[in-house]
Amino acid sequence: MKYSMLLVAFLSASTLMAETVVVDTDKIKVAETKVILEYPKQDEKLDALASQLTALENKLGEVSQKAQESEEPLLERNKQMLISVMGQGVAPMNTSSPAQAYALAKRAAVADAYRLIAEKVKGVRVDGQDVIQNMMVKRSTVRTSVNAMVRNANVVETTFKEGLCEVEMEIVLAYSQFAQ
Amino acid sequence: MRSRNGNSSSLLAICSVIYFSSLALHAGEYLVSYRYVVKDMILFNDSLQVSHAMKKCSGTPDKSIEFIDNDSENLNEILKNNSFEFTNFIHTLGLEVNHKETTINAQNSSTTILTLKTTCFKVDFNDNFARITALK
Repeated sequence: MKYSMLLVAFLSASTLMAETVVVDTDKIKVAETKVILEYPKQDEKLDALASQLTALENKLGEVSQKAQESEEPLLERNKQMLISVMGQGVAPMNTSSPAQAYALAKRAAVADAYRLIAEKVKGVRVDGQDVIQNMMVKRSTVRTSVNAMVRNANVVETTFKEGLCEVEMEIVLAYSQFAQ
Repeated sequence: MRSRNGNSSSLLAICSVIYFSSLALHAGEYLVSYRYVVKDMILFNDSLQVSHAMKKCSGTPDKSIEFIDNDSENLNEILKNNSFEFTNFIHTLGLEVNHKETTINAQNSSTTILTLKTTCFKVDFNDNFARITALK
């Protein structure tokens, strides 16, 4: 009888233990489900981060493109480059008519436009000299010069206002013109 | 005995030769150089030199321009009448640019010289117009 009572007690105790174990497993399951439920939230965060990263990359690309545009363009093979300049010329004081003043100012403006094209395409030679005496600048000299041959430059637009003539001039450069 | 067709074709050829020879009344080669100086943004000097070529020019025809002129065989006269158009034509041929700028104690002065190096031009004087072709 004692043994039977002990057996019953053991069985009841074992059942109780079993229930607790089951409960624990349920808790674990719940915990697992919680973890599983949290995954989508992390994905959203990751997506948001990825979108921010792509936006930053786009901005970086735009900035680098602007930086490239601000640099001097290169003349590439099978491509043409258009150079546009604005030359200025002044009419002399002693002209016999406004028409003569216009013609002379335009001629001066064309020469200035040619000079600007030559400066852009071939470059400028710059020489400087400062004379310093008794710790003071006595004479400061800057000399610039341009030598070039310009062909096929076209006058696009001419404006004449208050004695100043402005000539817009364009030249199209091709790689083949320079390749030798 | 010759056929009518044969006679007409030879006659046509002779007539065409006479016509084309009369169209080009006179042709000649000229040497032209042009130079103008701009000082401090104002046109300072401008010179156009024209002379007959003493010997035959070698070169292939480049760009050409035509001036309407009534029976004139003097190139200087034609260029005088059409100086504006001719200088524009010279610009298309290409000019040499020499520019010098000096700044001394913040006072600036500049000189720009545009030059057409001596170039040979073939000029055809016709009845109503003259055709000027640059040789390169």
